[in-house]
Amino acid sequence: MAEVRQRHRVGLAADLPPGRHTIVRAGNRELGIFNIAGTLHALPNLCPHQRGPLCAGSTSGTLVDGDTTGWKLTWSHEGEIITCPWHGLEFHVPTGQCMAWPEIRLRTYDVSVVDGEIEVAL
Amino acid sequence: MAIAAEKGGRETLATTFVLDGDVHLNEPPGELAEYAEAPWDVGLREIAKASGLYLALPGMAPRAEYRVPWPGGQNRSQVVTNAADMRRELDELHVDVAVLYPDNLLMLPMVRDPRFALALARAYNAWLCERWLSAEPTLRGALVACPQRPEESAEDIRRHAGHPGVCCIYLPACGLKPLYGHRQYEPIWKAATETGLPVAIHSVEAVFPAFPFQLECFETSLAQHALAHPLSMIANLVSLLETGVPMRWPEIRWGFMEAGVGWVPWIANRLDKEYLERRREVPHLKERPSHYIRQFFYGTQPIEEPLARGDIVKVFELFDGERTAVFASDWPHHDFDHPQHVFGLPFSPDARRAILGGNGARFYGIEIPAKYRAAA
Repeated sequence: MAEVRQRHRVGLAADLPPGRHTIVRAGNRELGIFNIAGTLHALPNLCPHQRGPLCAGSTSGTLVDGDTTGWKLTWSHEGEIITCPWHGLEFHVPTGQCMAWPEIRLRTYDVSVVDGEIEVAL
Repeated sequence: MAIAAEKGGRETLATTFVLDGDVHLNEPPGELAEYAEAPWDVGLREIAKASGLYLALPGMAPRAEYRVPWPGGQNRSQVVTNAADMRRELDELHVDVAVLYPDNLLMLPMVRDPRFALALARAYNAWLCERWLSAEPTLRGALVACPQRPEESAEDIRRHAGHPGVCCIYLPACGLKPLYGHRQYEPIWKAATETGLPVAIHSVEAVFPAFPFQLECFETSLAQHALAHPLSMIANLVSLLETGVPMRWPEIRWGFMEAGVGWVPWIANRLDKEYLERRREVPHLKERPSHYIRQFFYGTQPIEEPLARGDIVKVFELFDGERTAVFASDWPHHDFDHPQHVFGLPFSPDARRAILGGNGARFYGIEIPAKYRAAA
């Protein structure tokens, strides 16, 4: 059985150039819409820690270290990390993966551009 | 104590009395200059021109560390500079009454010139009463004690103790030497007893050559911050008990702020074990150390967040925290706790009400507003 998802138009693509993100309302949800190097991503604007407004934070890269970097401290994921303004918990925007808590991955939403408008599927 | 819920409705944070036992105002040096005695007003006006790092104003809040400013990270303001802004922000958190502590003066014990330290403390207390407590009755204040000059500080505490907004004496602990068990602080205990004000010890992270702040052996603020607060509380609690301060001043209510609560059962059990062997050294203790530790009050923030949420309730049970823990948000600082988080923990309804409001009301001597008191 195919899942029927509602599509919401949440703004003009021209207003969201690469490197920017914004908070929109879609149905009864608040989402963050991110333009990372021309690709759009959407996450809930709700931090699973203490319910802070996650997407009101700023995006940046972050520091990683481990076997993937040869145990060398590395600045990585430039532009792909959102940091919750309340307590600093970090999330990888394209996947929704929480950087500190491996068991937490946020729901991500399909987002596309239709006739110049950003459309998100809930 | 029963507190009225909305008629027929279920209890929510909005129907619960929330007393926030620890929020932080920001004390700009230029404003303190207006209240400072000469010649320190001149110095404070100079400090006001300097662009200090957050909580590291030259002279006023010395901090022997500097972190690399990587891009990104928490992007919200962590200072509140006036009573109206504080009231509005606390409304958003559903906080009814809050107790104000300073920002920069968290580091008062690290100020090396005791004359300047005393001038800062006096200016702060006068400024706090006039600019904050007189402006907004739901904001209550802790008078800062100056550990470098206890005698004069006690006089200053007496001067302001009668202000209706004053509810506590704040003992800064960051970089403190000697610890609060030392005899030199007796004038402050005398003032606390005479004024009936409780005392609250509050520390902050710093690297400083005074026990237990020699944190230079750690490389990250994760390590330093994790240890600075609870080690400071543990050090001062042990110091007070070993020299018998709470026994000699039995009317004082003692509070320990901003170190979470997990350390409390650990030190209580540890001291009880020591006591059975070494009672002769501390014959002023008539009971096990844990007996006295259960009479102290403890700010909840930063409340531990074990993966199994219910575990935090067990931690509170281990030190009688459902009767002595005082909700604190630490707003607007980096690791503040939202009262909704504490409201949602699996405490019993009575314990939840006590932790969010009743215990703080007893500790600070603050009346619970009529709308939250159950009809008889």
